[in-house]
Amino acid sequence: METLTQGNLSLLAALTALLPLITFLGITLIPGKQGRGAYFSIFNISVSLLLSAFLFFKIWNRNIVHEQLSWFTIGGTEFTAGILLNNLSVLMLVLVSLISLLVHIYSTMYMLGDPYLHRYWAYLGLFCFAMLGLVIIDNLLIVYMFWELVGFSSYLLIGFWFTKEAATQASKKAFIVNRLGDLGFLTGIMIVFSTFRTLDINLLFGEEGLVAQTVGSGIAPGAWLTIAGLAFFLAATAKSAQFPLHTWLPDAMEGPTSVSSLIHAATMVAAGVFLLARIYPIFDPTVLVVIASIGAFTAFMAATIALTQNDIKRILAFSTISQLGFMMIAMGVGAYGAGIFHLVTHAFFKCLLFLAAGAVIHEMAHFRAKTEADFDHQDIRNMGGLRKAMPLTFITMILASLALSGIPFTSGFLSKDAILIQSFEWADSQGGWVKLIPYSALLTSLLTAFYIFRLIFKTFFGEFRLKGQFSDKVIIHEAPAAMKYVMVVLAVFCLFLGFSFHPLSYEGSWILQGLPQQAIKHASVFDYHTFIPVIVNVLAILMIALAYKWYVKSKQAPDLSSNPVFLFLNRQWFFDDIYQRLFVNGTTKLASRAFLFDKKVVDGLVNLIANIGIVLSKISDWLDRYVVDGLIHAVASMAKTIGNFARNFQTGRLQHYLLTMVLVVLCFFIIKLFFPAI
Amino acid sequence: MIPLAHFMLVSAILFCIGLYAVLAKKNAIMILIGIEFMLNAAILNFVAFSKHDKIALGGQVFALFAIVLAAATVAVTLAIILNVYKYYRTIDPTKIDQLRD
Amino acid sequence: MSLLSLLIFLPLAAGLLILVLPYAWQQRYKYVALAAVGIQVIMSAFIYLNFDGNAFSGIDAKSKYQLVEQVSWINLQLGRLGSLQIDYFLGIDGLSMPFLVLSSVVMFIAVLSSWEIKTNLKGYFALLMLLNTAIMGVFCALDFFLFYIFYELMLLPLYFLIGMWGGARREYAAIKFFLYTLFGSVFMLLVIIGLYFSVQDPITGNHTFNMLHMMNPDNYIPGSIFSALAEQQIFGIPARLLGFIVLFIAFAIKVPIVPLHTWLPDAHVEAPTPVSIILAGILLKIGGYGILRICMSIFPDAAIDSAWWLGLIGVVSIIYGALNALAQNDLKRMIAYSSVSHMGFVLLGIASITAEGISGAMLQMISHGFLSTMLFFLVGVIYNRVHSRYIHDFRGLALIMPKYTTFIMIAFFASLGLPGFSAFIAEAFSLIGAFTSESVNGLLPRWMAICGSIGILLSAAYLLWTLQRMFFGKTRLMGGEDWKSKLTDVNGREIFVLTSLTVFALLLGILPSLAFDKMNASVLELIRLVNLK
Repeated sequence: METLTQGNLSLLAALTALLPLITFLGITLIPGKQGRGAYFSIFNISVSLLLSAFLFFKIWNRNIVHEQLSWFTIGGTEFTAGILLNNLSVLMLVLVSLISLLVHIYSTMYMLGDPYLHRYWAYLGLFCFAMLGLVIIDNLLIVYMFWELVGFSSYLLIGFWFTKEAATQASKKAFIVNRLGDLGFLTGIMIVFSTFRTLDINLLFGEEGLVAQTVGSGIAPGAWLTIAGLAFFLAATAKSAQFPLHTWLPDAMEGPTSVSSLIHAATMVAAGVFLLARIYPIFDPTVLVVIASIGAFTAFMAATIALTQNDIKRILAFSTISQLGFMMIAMGVGAYGAGIFHLVTHAFFKCLLFLAAGAVIHEMAHFRAKTEADFDHQDIRNMGGLRKAMPLTFITMILASLALSGIPFTSGFLSKDAILIQSFEWADSQGGWVKLIPYSALLTSLLTAFYIFRLIFKTFFGEFRLKGQFSDKVIIHEAPAAMKYVMVVLAVFCLFLGFSFHPLSYEGSWILQGLPQQAIKHASVFDYHTFIPVIVNVLAILMIALAYKWYVKSKQAPDLSSNPVFLFLNRQWFFDDIYQRLFVNGTTKLASRAFLFDKKVVDGLVNLIANIGIVLSKISDWLDRYVVDGLIHAVASMAKTIGNFARNFQTGRLQHYLLTMVLVVLCFFIIKLFFPAI
Repeated sequence: MIPLAHFMLVSAILFCIGLYAVLAKKNAIMILIGIEFMLNAAILNFVAFSKHDKIALGGQVFALFAIVLAAATVAVTLAIILNVYKYYRTIDPTKIDQLRD
Repeated sequence: MSLLSLLIFLPLAAGLLILVLPYAWQQRYKYVALAAVGIQVIMSAFIYLNFDGNAFSGIDAKSKYQLVEQVSWINLQLGRLGSLQIDYFLGIDGLSMPFLVLSSVVMFIAVLSSWEIKTNLKGYFALLMLLNTAIMGVFCALDFFLFYIFYELMLLPLYFLIGMWGGARREYAAIKFFLYTLFGSVFMLLVIIGLYFSVQDPITGNHTFNMLHMMNPDNYIPGSIFSALAEQQIFGIPARLLGFIVLFIAFAIKVPIVPLHTWLPDAHVEAPTPVSIILAGILLKIGGYGILRICMSIFPDAAIDSAWWLGLIGVVSIIYGALNALAQNDLKRMIAYSSVSHMGFVLLGIASITAEGISGAMLQMISHGFLSTMLFFLVGVIYNRVHSRYIHDFRGLALIMPKYTTFIMIAFFASLGLPGFSAFIAEAFSLIGAFTSESVNGLLPRWMAICGSIGILLSAAYLLWTLQRMFFGKTRLMGGEDWKSKLTDVNGREIFVLTSLTVFALLLGILPSLAFDKMNASVLELIRLVNLK
């Protein structure tokens, strides 16, 4: 196997990323019948998965592969494009291609019968390409390109049903909010480039990279590096839907559910966390605190919102935001490995949650189509008792929910505990108000357990609420095979075994061992490693029990709908309204003002100048006509008068002429008489 | 002895009468008569001045010459007047103003 | 005749040919024009392929120009004033060569989109070819007088093309355009004359219009008006600064900058599609090219002094143009304002006087040339079919014109700077250049770059909003079923045009080295010249 040089490995990596692009190009450029491309794209993505698995085993915990080509030269700076494979990238490579493959397979059934299916496959291909490219590339500028490409393909996918008004609105919103984040990314790139004159990630952020040296020595403009860190974090907040740029994600639920699952699990939102991990050395302690506190706030806020939502996909969307908040906390507290670990475990169980929810929605939509009834098929208040009709979906979803709540023996337990414990340890070492962060994370994880089991209980327990309302028979079955098996595979990954042999200790996880660890080893008063899991789990189980009591036993949860707090949460803390009013309306108003200004003032000025010109020319015309021309006319008329006058002398009469002659001679004599000198 | 000034006075009066006739009369014949008056005023002057040229009598010779000349001009002028009359059917000089254009 | 002269005068010949062809052949005029422009495309491709970017860095040395032609053209002995010497002096370097390619391609597409012109074809194509000659001449001329002749020559055909084949308010637009541009160029003439009397040919000792001599401070007559050492003043302003400002305004009107931009929306909206294409695709670039080739090179000291203002104007144009675009209901007007915004990046990049910034600005001009051509062509497609451009009149076009929608999405996303398309690299590097300027030469503060990047966000807003309003949702048209039957999807000719433009934008976006390699040496040379003062 020595023939596999670095170059060959990076070629393989490039191929891994390019295969989905080939899917995209093949489907869009080769004409054919509508709905083609399913097998083609599944084949390509499976090859990608195989290749990335191969790369994973070649590179994980071994040497880093870094290959570059010259891309272009500006001035004296050469820009390279290359592939940088380290533990992080190969892990992401496998994760992305695996989840994508599963979603591809799931989609064959879920999207069956859509008239524009070929476009769906093409867009999925582009999306996977962007995401796979993002994780392997080594140049910040190209990372940025893929970063935006991810945003673009998500725009296409969210707005896939382009005749739906809400879908197009949501896709637009997603793109523009992400654009805002991109500005942060661009600013970051500008700062990094102007400081270090290179955008090579390995050179910048490698172990002995420029950033590490600078941050350590403190020579370089520290303030600008802090700003760069904040700017990159802004980019991550947009992609990973963190406060204050989280509002696009719930709206993005307008896309097909399979797409939501892909976006939420492994690809788009993960890109933000991945970016932070990739450029980790640039963040100085100030930025890290910001990251951690934004993460904690987002996690808490999204969890509270999730408590009050009724749309099954929206609950999951806010759950995603909340979980991403956890990853951000991990990043902020220096638990870089734990953040990625949670990213991976979350990818599986969130993907599963969405796909299972998709199965439920799929069936509900069928039910609606058959009964020709009119109800919201995504509203959990219309569901209930589905565990009998869809047992497999139920079981897999329970597993995923347990993982989300962080119950032992699941993958989520490991990663969430890793984050909680490390954040407590970090907070101990910091002191001050940041101590709130771990506690809020703790609180959030309790809320998580409650809202996800509220969803489960409302959907799967009790009686089907629409029974008898439209049709006596409940004609809801298990999802089709392709969807079912995908869910089973994902369910396996929700268990602890995929990540660690020890069900209760995250330290044993192979992912954490392959990634950098938190630097602080604080001798704490408490043994967090024992206390935290116990407290979290006891409380979580209590919360689940409470949910059970409210939503299954009594069938009558306390009615809070008139409570202002409930309203506040239900309306998602009014962020959308505030943004709409402040930014959207503000910008459109500013735009129309600007146009008014342009039309009235700038163009008005031009027209004014033109009018002044016209008036001036009128004046000069008047002058010309009456003064200049008048003078000429006066001269002319004088000549005419004189002529007319002289004409009188020429009478033609001899006697007059004679008289004149006589007078002239007489005059001559008189002059001669009086002035003899002449 | 009549002093020279008297001759000249008569001659001047004659000339003025002639001039008046030439300028004011509306009949070509009368203008011709005016011209004759002026001619004769000049002849009178010649004769009067000839007193100072006792040897050659140049003044009197000139006077005779002028009289002959006057007779010739009258003949020519009368012929012109006749032709004018034939052409214009009038001998009023104020009516004959074709020189104007 | 060598290659450049051929490139310049070939369309003129074609125009004359069209003039003498009988009226009965009206329908064939366009093929004559197309053939001429097609040959131009091939020639410019040949020039591009044979251009050696590293050896021919150009700027201020004649030996570094490629395809140089220098013939004495006007030579008058003026007695005491010396001799008036104007050369027919052509040549290309890395700054002008890309524009030859751009111009010929854009002209080709303009001719292809002239299929829609139905009236007075003889005059139309003759004027179009005359315009073509003038444009090519401007990019090749190295004698300032020759440059000015070509520069003014562009105005005349454009005036008639807008004024005779335009829309409802065509006379107003044509006059406005004409006066605006004339306003700039008249004062330019004064500066040209001033320069003429300040500069002498180092060999013959005569006054000269040669631009390359004007770039060399040694050629200035001591004590002359534009001599750097004499520090002459006019109205209390340093003469060189005033000269720079006058030339800058002349070119900036073409670019255009805020607040000298209001001719642009009117001219674009009223002009027929091919003329809009030429206006946006080439004419605006002449402004940017002029600033680089003439303002910066001849008055480098003044350029550095006023870089801050240039950058500010760039930023204002970016944001102001984008905001205005957001407020438009007329698709064509929106694109016109987006041009103002995109050309702001050019100015910002130029003002930075860094390699990144100027390269970015150059690429932005080329990229905007292709993309605005594409956008105006697309507007023309829809306008031809139903004679409306109002965004509110359309909805859900994606359902009835899927291919058209695909192309418009490509064009929109490309011009909002989607990576993979040329505009992305161009805008990114304009901004990076502006940002690095503070640490490289301290000309522009960093907030300018950051403010400029807001333009990227706004461009996403107005383009996506338009996309959503016009193309998505359920089909609902102002003209009902009648329009539905008229709005056929793009035909073969249109697909050809749009595909080729897409390919250009993609190629430059993925392999920017195609452009950067050719102009890098010239850009560096220009920066060296400017920093030399």
